[in-house]
Amino acid sequence: MEQFEQLLTCAICLDRYRNPKLLPCQHSFCMEPCLEGLVDYVRRQVKCPECRAEHRIPYNGVQGFPTNVTLQRFLELHIEITGELPDPTSGQIMERCNVCSEKAYCSFCSHCDKKICEECKGAHMEILRREISRINNQIRRGIHRLQDTLALVEKNSQNIQTNCLSVGEEVEEIYRRLNKALKDRTEYLRGELDRYLSTELRSLTTLKENLEQEISNILSNCDLADKHMNENVDIWDDCELMDAKEIFLKTVEFIRNFEYENSDYSRKVRLVLAHDPNQLVLHVAGFGDLNITNANSVFGQSSSLLQPPGPGLMRSKSDHRLASQFRQQEERGYGERGYGDDDQMLGGRKFGDRSKPTAETTSRYGRSGDYGDDYDHDTRPARSKYSRFRRHQTTENDSDSEQTPRVRFHENKERERPLDTEDVTRGPLSGITRLADSPRVMQKMQDCESGKTKKKEEPPKPPEPKVVPKRPPPPAVRQVSEEDEISRIKKQNKGASTSTETVTETRPVIEERQRKTPAPEAASSTEESEESVSVQQRKTPTKTPAPTTRRPSDASHKKTTRSASSDSSSTESSTSSSAIRTTGAPFTTEEVKKKILSRVETTPPSRNASSSPQAKPFQSRFLQNKTAPTPPKDEEIETSSEEETETEEETDEETEKTDNKELAKTDIGPLLARSANARDNSVENIRRRSREEADSPSRNRYTSPREKEKEEPFKYSRSRTSTVAEEEPTRYGYTSRFLNKSKSSAAIPPEEDDYTSRYSTADDDSKYPTSRSRYMAMKDRRQRLARSRSSQQFGDEDESEEPISPTSSNPSAYLASRGYGSSSSAHDLARSRSSHALKSRDNSPDRSASSAAEKDGAALSSWARYLKNKYGNRSGAKDKDVASGVSTPSASSSGAARRLSLGLPLRSSTELASSDDDSKNTQGSPTTPTAATAVVGIAQAVAGTTPRGQYLQKCQQLFQIGSRGSEAGCFTWPRGVAVGPDNTIVVADSSNHRVQVFDANGRFLKEFGQYGNKEGEFDCLAGVAVNRIGQYIIADRYNHRIQVFDPSGRFLRAFGSQGTADGRFNYPWGITTDALGFIYVCDKENHRVQVFQSDGTFVGKFGSMGNKEGQLEHPHYIAVSSTNRVVVSDSNNHRIQIFDVNGKVLTSFGSEGSAEGQFKFPRGVAVDDQGYICVADSGNNRIQIFSPDGTFLRAFGCWGIGKGEFKGLEGVAMTSNGHILVCDRENHRIQVF
Amino acid sequence: MASLPRRIIKETQRLMQEPVPGISAVPDDSNARYFHVIVTGPEDSPFEGGLFKLELFLPEDYPMSAPKVRFITKIYHPNIDRLGRICLDILKDKWSPALQIRTVLLSIQALLSAPNPDDPLANDVAELWKVNESEAIRNAKEWTRRYAMDN
Repeated sequence: MEQFEQLLTCAICLDRYRNPKLLPCQHSFCMEPCLEGLVDYVRRQVKCPECRAEHRIPYNGVQGFPTNVTLQRFLELHIEITGELPDPTSGQIMERCNVCSEKAYCSFCSHCDKKICEECKGAHMEILRREISRINNQIRRGIHRLQDTLALVEKNSQNIQTNCLSVGEEVEEIYRRLNKALKDRTEYLRGELDRYLSTELRSLTTLKENLEQEISNILSNCDLADKHMNENVDIWDDCELMDAKEIFLKTVEFIRNFEYENSDYSRKVRLVLAHDPNQLVLHVAGFGDLNITNANSVFGQSSSLLQPPGPGLMRSKSDHRLASQFRQQEERGYGERGYGDDDQMLGGRKFGDRSKPTAETTSRYGRSGDYGDDYDHDTRPARSKYSRFRRHQTTENDSDSEQTPRVRFHENKERERPLDTEDVTRGPLSGITRLADSPRVMQKMQDCESGKTKKKEEPPKPPEPKVVPKRPPPPAVRQVSEEDEISRIKKQNKGASTSTETVTETRPVIEERQRKTPAPEAASSTEESEESVSVQQRKTPTKTPAPTTRRPSDASHKKTTRSASSDSSSTESSTSSSAIRTTGAPFTTEEVKKKILSRVETTPPSRNASSSPQAKPFQSRFLQNKTAPTPPKDEEIETSSEEETETEEETDEETEKTDNKELAKTDIGPLLARSANARDNSVENIRRRSREEADSPSRNRYTSPREKEKEEPFKYSRSRTSTVAEEEPTRYGYTSRFLNKSKSSAAIPPEEDDYTSRYSTADDDSKYPTSRSRYMAMKDRRQRLARSRSSQQFGDEDESEEPISPTSSNPSAYLASRGYGSSSSAHDLARSRSSHALKSRDNSPDRSASSAAEKDGAALSSWARYLKNKYGNRSGAKDKDVASGVSTPSASSSGAARRLSLGLPLRSSTELASSDDDSKNTQGSPTTPTAATAVVGIAQAVAGTTPRGQYLQKCQQLFQIGSRGSEAGCFTWPRGVAVGPDNTIVVADSSNHRVQVFDANGRFLKEFGQYGNKEGEFDCLAGVAVNRIGQYIIADRYNHRIQVFDPSGRFLRAFGSQGTADGRFNYPWGITTDALGFIYVCDKENHRVQVFQSDGTFVGKFGSMGNKEGQLEHPHYIAVSSTNRVVVSDSNNHRIQIFDVNGKVLTSFGSEGSAEGQFKFPRGVAVDDQGYICVADSGNNRIQIFSPDGTFLRAFGCWGIGKGEFKGLEGVAMTSNGHILVCDRENHRIQVF
Repeated sequence: MASLPRRIIKETQRLMQEPVPGISAVPDDSNARYFHVIVTGPEDSPFEGGLFKLELFLPEDYPMSAPKVRFITKIYHPNIDRLGRICLDILKDKWSPALQIRTVLLSIQALLSAPNPDDPLANDVAELWKVNESEAIRNAKEWTRRYAMDN
């Protein structure tokens, strides 16, 4: 074999033959550079190196020699056999270097826009390196400005917080005062009115009585007179007659004189107002306004006055705005071209991309303004703010076109994209990428550390002193002369004499000395510095001002506010689907552990240990540095798009639930701490209170600073001091009442629910003033509550989520309501408590039924406890539950029917069951699993519609969230998306290094995380998952770890580090959890899936690099169905593989292509409760939906920036109500279908 | 940075992996075109037992032009002068790109075995070699012992 190889080796270059040319002497050599180099141009001869035979060169040069076809065949054969890849430079043609004019394999130099040889390129790179390091120094010197600003911003944010806090308190104070004054006055007036009325009435009554008496007297007199006076009967003597006459005369007089003083009694009471009531209302309505003091006043000093926030707010944002404005401008620039707006900084190029030689007139960094700007900053202090931010260069737009995969692949000879910064941190203000985040750079660094490759373009590091002799080192040159010398000497010698020796002696000595320094460096370095100067000069003039047009890109932003018209009847449908998951996990911890352990043992430890991207070998051998590595490729091929229809309303429930969730977190501590006193409150007391509250809804109840707490726990203590006395009992009242209720729901009189709802309404009302920022959400909620209250009286299923609201002060109850589905709420309580890692402090003493179980659980790990609670104690719970469960089917089926009649798509049956469960749980009548399944059956029978139908109709975007940016609600390369148990939308805002949470309608709720590698910090996070207890699990990609956060976004733990061992990661990407809380991670560069317990303990892994069944190549995203089917997007194999929990392949589908059911680098995957699979077919820029068995159902979407169009798909998620959330990476948004 | 031609890299690798018996050639740390060479004196020659240091430099257009080789160790040889320059045809007009470092060094080793006083460089030595070969050989042995053995 070795000999064979030798036969295929050119004797000159000692390399495999490349275009072997056969000389007449039958020796073969490569045409270039070997034979070319042999040519004696003067004599037009070539001398065979092997036999020294001289041959005339054909007319058209050495290429006129016949090609040794046989040899070429052998070469091909050899390649076939050994599987070697062709030589990198094969097919290339030598050209003259445009700088040094040497003939060499030239490649394009971005520095000088010429094709130049390696040597010159190296020199140019050196120049660039020096320049960068110099600029870098300047940056370092200037960075303090940003740091100062940062400090200032921090200070300001604190100020603004305190300011707002105090103003808020003030507002409340005023409100209280006004309210009190109003009430006092009203009561006073009312009292006066009553008094007046009673006295008047009294006098009128007496008058009436007197009159009646008079009338009757007089009438009787009259009658008497009539009777007796006309008859001549002497009954009457004279005296009597006289008296009678007198009396009658008196009567006549009285009647004549009697006059009713009408006016006395017809007086009218009138409410006299000191001020015009309208005015008054206006005054009160606008009793205060917020006035923001002007810019130069520091925030927070205005606390005593209600100073309105107009311009101040603007001001505080100014820089930010400016930046986004710029971004928008730029986006627009790209947008108009239908182009990716991702890379303004390098003029649309990825970091390190080759720019298009024709269009690109700017420097290597594409936008020379950038560095130049920083660089010149000192000299141009008068520049406007604009200069601080990137200025977009119009000329650079042209380079956009290279972003299309087509161009890229066709032109890869001319361009290279060595550093794909596509998912790199980008300065939110300047858009400056973080080089260290670029996978390329990282890899380079890594390689550099291991000494494999030389480092390239890493500004922070000082440039390597890679100075190279550009011309033959002196020794060589001189030796030539030396040689001549020798021959001369020899000739002389021949001519006899030894006298010349002295001559020859002196010179070589000098030579020798010089030769000792093998590589002279001085020359080349000076040359370089010269060049660098010129380069700089060239750079400066290319700066162009930014386009000043503005982009109406917020149009898309407005979209997010849509769908506020939520329908309460769909709300309950959105209650967490987590309950379903329980059904899919019919085994205990032990079983699971055993399974997984055995799996671990059996799994062959075949892993691809290479940490370099898979495309690396290719790149280096095949294309050398002419093309980008494959990973960037697959991210960029994605181009195409489409649409879809489906109308369903999101609900506000999420808001509420998050509230609850957060509350559950923040509230539980104090709650428990005080529960000792609280529990003394009897149920009656509580009821009374709640009734009271229900009766007086107008009263300002700060009883629920809960709202406040939720938003800003730290504020709570303050704002609350004034109202503590009032609120506490109430809250405890809730707690214990709810506990009581959940314990023995049947015993609770039906009216209590009524109270509950009434109370909650009242409560909500009272909350509005306190929860300023949530006003919208609250409004919706109020409507919903109002509705649900009424519907509850029908015993309908509608109110399933409704009773949750009163429980919002009780975390355990909240959790219970959130679908710890089929076990009893008592157990849920226990579990939820344990999951919150509360010590076994007894939350509610009245709950004795579950306390035993709970105590058991406390000793175990939270996971084990969870399982134990879930399965171990179920039998006990069942007995209790059955009775109540029986009644469920009818209710739920009617619910389903109702839902149908409402025209809402029926969701999966399990989901129904779950929402049903939820409702039952919260009402204290938990459904047993059997009951639930019964419900399912009925529901489906009633429904007759399947998710299939629903999905078949998909194609129209419902709404979208976000646009490019780093503000709240904006994204920079969002990647993972997940749906929380309460239907919140959780987005991994990858290049902003944070997680953002939105409610189901896309309203921003919160964010957490920042760039870094410490706890709670991210570095280009990719996947997100939310487990059923609302914890966020984040794949912190470039930190090669998984982080877990509690529902409020507080860091809980992290696990993993870079590596290939078990429990280590190489760019973990997608992540998910199953019903049991196991965490599945797509360990992308290790080409495997790893499984962990929720506490981070490694339990198993599956997959290895390859394209066979069960093997993976760059698995990106993962999802687990309710039936524990693990769906993995096997990106580089263009297929979806479905595993069981043991890592055995159940099925796989898809192949490379763009037909239906085919993929190009599929990424995000999601599974709904029914097992329908949604795949983000990133290369085709479409979403595909498959039925559980993998048959194609529907595809929609194409490349573009419009609605329903995608540019670079990442994660997808499916909500419990059948919405599909799609992460549209390059468009920096989440689309909902 | 002029990348080292693949040929040189290959040759260097091969020299490292399959060294020629009696010859060692190590590239300089700072310049990969510059080799430190040690050639053992061939058996049955006056140079037997000696370790001769040479330096070898590959010019820019190598392999189109011959490497430059020079003895550093003093040697008494008709084709090698006092400066260590070597009179060897393949280092000059008979150079062929098909030759390699190893072949060159082997040729030099062969030259030690078979001095060619008819094509001399060091005339005095060649003269002696032609006139009184035994004395020349004695001298050569002496020089070898003196310069090529003590270190």
